[in-house]
Amino acid sequence: MAAATVATTLAACGGGDSGGGGGGGGSEENEASDIGITEDTIKLGAHYPLTGVAAPGYSEIPTGVEAYFDYVNANGGVNGRQIEFVYRDDAYNPTNTSQIVNQLVLEDEVFAIMSGLGTPTHNAVTDFLNSENVPDLFVSSGSRLWDDVEEKPYTFGWQPDYEIEGKIIGQYVAENFPDAKVGLFLQGDDFGEDGAAGARQYLEDQIVAEETYVPGNTDVVPQISALQAAGADLVLGFNVPSYTALSQLTALRLGYQPQWFYSNVGSDPALVGSLLARFSEGAVSDASLLDGVLTTEYIPGLDAPDNPWVQLWQQVWEESGQEGELTNYRIYGMSQAYTMVQALQSAGQNPTRDDLVAAVEQAGSEWEGPGFTPFRYSEDRHAGYSGMLVSRLQGEGSEDLTPILVTDNGDAEIEELDGEPASPPENGIPEEEPIN
Amino acid sequence: MQEFVNLTLGGVITGSVYAAFALALVLIWRSTRIVNFAQGAMAALTTFIAIALIDAGQSYWVGLVVALLSGLVIGAVVERVVIRPVEGGPELNAVIVTLGLFIAIQALISVLFGVNQRAFVPPFSNIGFRIGDTTLGSLSPNTVYTLIAVLLVMVALIALFRFTRLGLAMRASAFGQEVARLLGVRVGRMLTLGWALAAVVGSLAGMLIAAETAFVAPTFMDSLIVFGFVAAVLGGLDSPIGAVVGGLVLGVALSYVRGYLGDTLVGLAALVILVVVLLVRPGGLFSTTQTRRA
Repeated sequence: MAAATVATTLAACGGGDSGGGGGGGGSEENEASDIGITEDTIKLGAHYPLTGVAAPGYSEIPTGVEAYFDYVNANGGVNGRQIEFVYRDDAYNPTNTSQIVNQLVLEDEVFAIMSGLGTPTHNAVTDFLNSENVPDLFVSSGSRLWDDVEEKPYTFGWQPDYEIEGKIIGQYVAENFPDAKVGLFLQGDDFGEDGAAGARQYLEDQIVAEETYVPGNTDVVPQISALQAAGADLVLGFNVPSYTALSQLTALRLGYQPQWFYSNVGSDPALVGSLLARFSEGAVSDASLLDGVLTTEYIPGLDAPDNPWVQLWQQVWEESGQEGELTNYRIYGMSQAYTMVQALQSAGQNPTRDDLVAAVEQAGSEWEGPGFTPFRYSEDRHAGYSGMLVSRLQGEGSEDLTPILVTDNGDAEIEELDGEPASPPENGIPEEEPIN
Repeated sequence: MQEFVNLTLGGVITGSVYAAFALALVLIWRSTRIVNFAQGAMAALTTFIAIALIDAGQSYWVGLVVALLSGLVIGAVVERVVIRPVEGGPELNAVIVTLGLFIAIQALISVLFGVNQRAFVPPFSNIGFRIGDTTLGSLSPNTVYTLIAVLLVMVALIALFRFTRLGLAMRASAFGQEVARLLGVRVGRMLTLGWALAAVVGSLAGMLIAAETAFVAPTFMDSLIVFGFVAAVLGGLDSPIGAVVGGLVLGVALSYVRGYLGDTLVGLAALVILVVVLLVRPGGLFSTTQTRRA
């Protein structure tokens, strides 16, 4: 098992007692207030698939997290503390996840776990983290499992969950394609199930077929044939990016041309495009295969190069000097890192692990960041972003089709966001007041 | 009806891909009496070598030839260096060594070529033939190529084992090393040759599978290994025709399961098919005689 252990380099200058980056810097001295915190460092841990089937794309997220933490560290850190970010490879295998999270908590002695990626993988460690009282922030998965204050008081989601995404997609389709026969193309786990449950609230009468795939099976001819046979002329995909590419190619082979609508997870144009590009050069088709595909967004991405957040991420990425281009996966990581810095600032100058959890619960819904909508954090809820918008992919960019829509689980109404998305602060680092 | 046709044809195609893989297993079994769990990883390695060439601007056919040749070399080297020391010991030792090899080779691919998925453009068009208004999505010029390639390999293997002195010598070495050696067969060479040829067939299977699946990561053979094994065992592990029929039966059956019941049941269905066949015919569908053991 290749375990990549990477600690962000300590910035050579700019640290010290300047207390950069917001509130709390003042009379008190920094103390080693809990495990993983010293006077001048704070250690965070994470698990990602850096190898194996889920590695493409997802393995870029930690490089984004790291780039933003480097940027914050170079500007004085959080309350004068440098952030050390340790991440390890679980190859998207829950057994490995348990092992490396044990290692992160017991050997590396991290203050908190953040951004742990994947539903089956992270679900294997929430019991352990909660029994050890380790904050488990901003899980990289839209499952609803992370919003369970009773059983998992230390675990918090981050991105909009798949059910509210399904609802927003469902309502959009019901309003704009009232006559469409809708087919569902689902990953065979709670990603697909939650998404379908949300969509069914609005589309129950329009759905003519539901097909699932098991990740790893590379042949989706039977599923796409079944959708075609059922006469579906609009297909909603709750699938990962490689299956977006695969479903597109398979549909081409079958001469099947429905309107495609992929949920946020599966629509990364850069990754899917790079897979499909080789085919569109050749005999298969000359047009860009993803043009006109519908999808959703909840944080600004590369398709909006003029967005001030994307410009900030571009700057952060260039300054980090890491290899490769800025990608949407790196932007995802940076956005999470931004939220993490907000959480650390809110937790105060000398936080304990419980202070960090309290900070997210009490202040989290007020944080302004890259996300289009507020978080749903409170003492009763640990759910992430509350909404998204629908857009259409067009070449390199995309076109917004709806205003920003906000909702919640169950039968909560879908409403337009009251207000405007935030702009980044001038220096690119949040300044949250401590909660106590 | 269109769906049924597409499912059947799709099943034949995936089945032929399972068959290609099963043929490599049969070859190694017939010539060394070892089940090679590293077969999939070896095929993935040679496929990635071909992809590197294709990405560098070479044609598919150059990539194919290089893949087959590198398969030949890798197969021979693996037998001489890794398998030879454990040959002659308990059969299980060699099998466990191939399992270790599987992990090591897969890691090597990630180190050499990275973990990202690559696009693999098939040599012929993948767009289905059209009959009137219907597109036979599963029957395309490329799938015809796949089918023909698999059938050619099957015929070649049957010919090798049934009609040539070389094939006879290879079988003899596999069954009884001592006796074969007494009769003047260079057993060591035969075993090396068996591994090398099996790796060539495996490499071909890798190339065919890559063209059918379109996107390949270092782990792309993993899901197919299981079905390839099931196909080989269905056919009796000993028979090239059995491997091909086993592959086709499995492919079509699983395609129906996927299309009519659901993808989640595919693994279970494969197990049920395997258990039922082995209960009815313990030696596999095509076993003609009781399994002989040396």
